[in-house]
Amino acid sequence: MGGILVVLTLQGGAATPAGLDLLGLAAEIAQVDGGEVTALALGEGGAGAGQGLISRGADAVLYCADPALARHPGEAGMQVLAQAEREVQPDLLLLAADSVGRDLGPRIAARLGAGLVTEATSAALHAGRVEVTRPVFGGKAIARMAATTAQAVITLRPGAGAARAADPSRTGTVRELAVQIAPAANWPTVVRREVEASSGPRLEEATAIVSGGRGVGGPEGFSLLHELAQALGGAVGASRAAVDEGWVPAALQIGQTGKAVAPDLYIAVGISGASQHMVGCARAKTLVAINRDPDALIFDAARLGLVGDYREALPALTRAIRELS
Amino acid sequence: MHVVVLLKQVLDPEIPAKAFDIDQGRKAPKVERAPQVLSIFDGNALELALKLREARADVRITALTLGPQQADEALRKALALTCDEAVRVDAEEGALDSHQKARLLAAALRLLEPWDLVLAGRQAADWEAGQVGAMVAEELALPCVPFVSRVEQAAEPLAVRQQLESGYAVVQLGGPAVLTVTNDETNVLRAAKVKDVMAAGRKPLRVLQAGEILADLGESAVEVLSLALPPKPERAEIVEGGSMEEKASALARRLRELGAI
Ligand SMILES: Cc1cc2nc3c(=O)[nH]c(=O)nc-3n(C[C@H](O)[C@H](O)[C@H](O)COP(=O)(O)OP(=O)(O)OC[C@H]3O[C@@H](n4cnc5c(N)ncnc54)[C@H](O)[C@@H]3O)c2cc1C
Repeated sequence: MGGILVVLTLQGGAATPAGLDLLGLAAEIAQVDGGEVTALALGEGGAGAGQGLISRGADAVLYCADPALARHPGEAGMQVLAQAEREVQPDLLLLAADSVGRDLGPRIAARLGAGLVTEATSAALHAGRVEVTRPVFGGKAIARMAATTAQAVITLRPGAGAARAADPSRTGTVRELAVQIAPAANWPTVVRREVEASSGPRLEEATAIVSGGRGVGGPEGFSLLHELAQALGGAVGASRAAVDEGWVPAALQIGQTGKAVAPDLYIAVGISGASQHMVGCARAKTLVAINRDPDALIFDAARLGLVGDYREALPALTRAIRELS
Repeated sequence: MHVVVLLKQVLDPEIPAKAFDIDQGRKAPKVERAPQVLSIFDGNALELALKLREARADVRITALTLGPQQADEALRKALALTCDEAVRVDAEEGALDSHQKARLLAAALRLLEPWDLVLAGRQAADWEAGQVGAMVAEELALPCVPFVSRVEQAAEPLAVRQQLESGYAVVQLGGPAVLTVTNDETNVLRAAKVKDVMAAGRKPLRVLQAGEILADLGESAVEVLSLALPPKPERAEIVEGGSMEEKASALARRLRELGAI
């Protein structure tokens, strides 16, 4: 296999954890295979981030901070990616399964006629091609898939855990990608960005999360979750069902198509444990389920369980925790 | 304004794991007796289209699906929700990869022109690949806005809300585009009225033959090597106690022991 092109978005001038996973996976494949790993870094700070990306597994870094990327992330992103692909001519393109990779991955695969496997939880080289493992059918099955084409595109789910420790002795080239972006009149334009307002800690940063599902039964029930979250210094999250019911805003949704969180403690309240929810909280250090159904699927995923009605359990638990602290 | 919504009929994602089984010959689930439903994000896309039509009078909605005759159920549902037209591309959808599906849908969309917007769910609730919408955009050489949850401005220039990891962006469109739709509290699919369900049964469905709209489908670019049931997980340690107070104290103590609080 030839080279690997890794697409990463910089945030605050540095790679995201998802980006570091991509580099780690690419380096692992290249180690067996001898190909070169090129990182395409999108967004501001590419020149400064370059050496850091090399220490994490890249052999070469191309960066692009064109302001059009912020105004037209999809269309400008495609022009930049297509240019990088022409220069590198990789056999494998690796993107994160995040808002950028889930957009650009399918588009570049269609343009190149390359086989695409999305949402990989792991990937490894077997007999010269990359085989991908990923849950399908809401986690009721696990599929192994591979592209049948010479060129492949893979998106990797955040949290795959493939990142390598920085090795400052690694060397490589860092240069700006020469690309002229000419926005067309029909390009969608970002006219405003809003960062979520939240009173407590943000879900992504919270060390404790109390998450509510359909079993909470209504918006009022969430006040009990807020009280427990407050006692823990944490935040409140939700399942899709609670969002669909209109009890909480979509910004609280945790799961495959919501937020992926990694708190020390995750308490799922009235949540049945559908895999699409659980992938969003699987990286919690300790997972606790409170559910009145002793057979609920969630007790398969949780470390600790309490069987009972949350309306009694939560006030009692909030008191017990306050007493301990 | 003509809006086309892409719909897919899928194995009900809410069936319990116990009821899920794999046909190893086809490397696909056994679906003979399993209930089929409209894929949930496609429902959100449909709701977005209906909301847009409520906000401006000139909207006409076409529902487009790809699949065997069974997929007509998705179209009937769309018609019951008062979509104006319904079209199915007749194809054994399960045998195609996402790019082949996107090429077929793009061919059908060319026949349905002119339109202003194509809406698709962000991913289907069966294989959860999340590829077809963006690939349709690429095939039609159109811009794509992913993860749209609502319309911010229904008058021209149209603006939509795109959900991002920590917040959202308001994106103004500059012409025809493909939007992939994600869920939020505003786009839960409404229920159909009984009289509309009855009327929908009498509306015509248009069927396009895959071979007639696209001469060469090409080869599948992706192979399923294996499909297996996941390993059986360990059950949680359930805290015991005579009263809720005791259970809660036991849980708090265990959390302290595990260093979680
Ligand atoms: C493609 C796709 C993507 C999806 N993405 C997501 C996602 O990102 N996030 C997500 O959450 N879901 C997602 N879903 C939906 C997911 O499949 C489930 O439908 C959803 O997670 C169910 O939410 P729930 O557990 O709150 O509700 P339910 O499944 O209805 O469970 C409610 C639970 O509450 C318990 N309960 C009821 N009353 C009480 C009480 N008084 N006290 C204690 N317990 C009680 C019940 O025993 C039950 O276990 C997705 C689905 C699909 C198909």
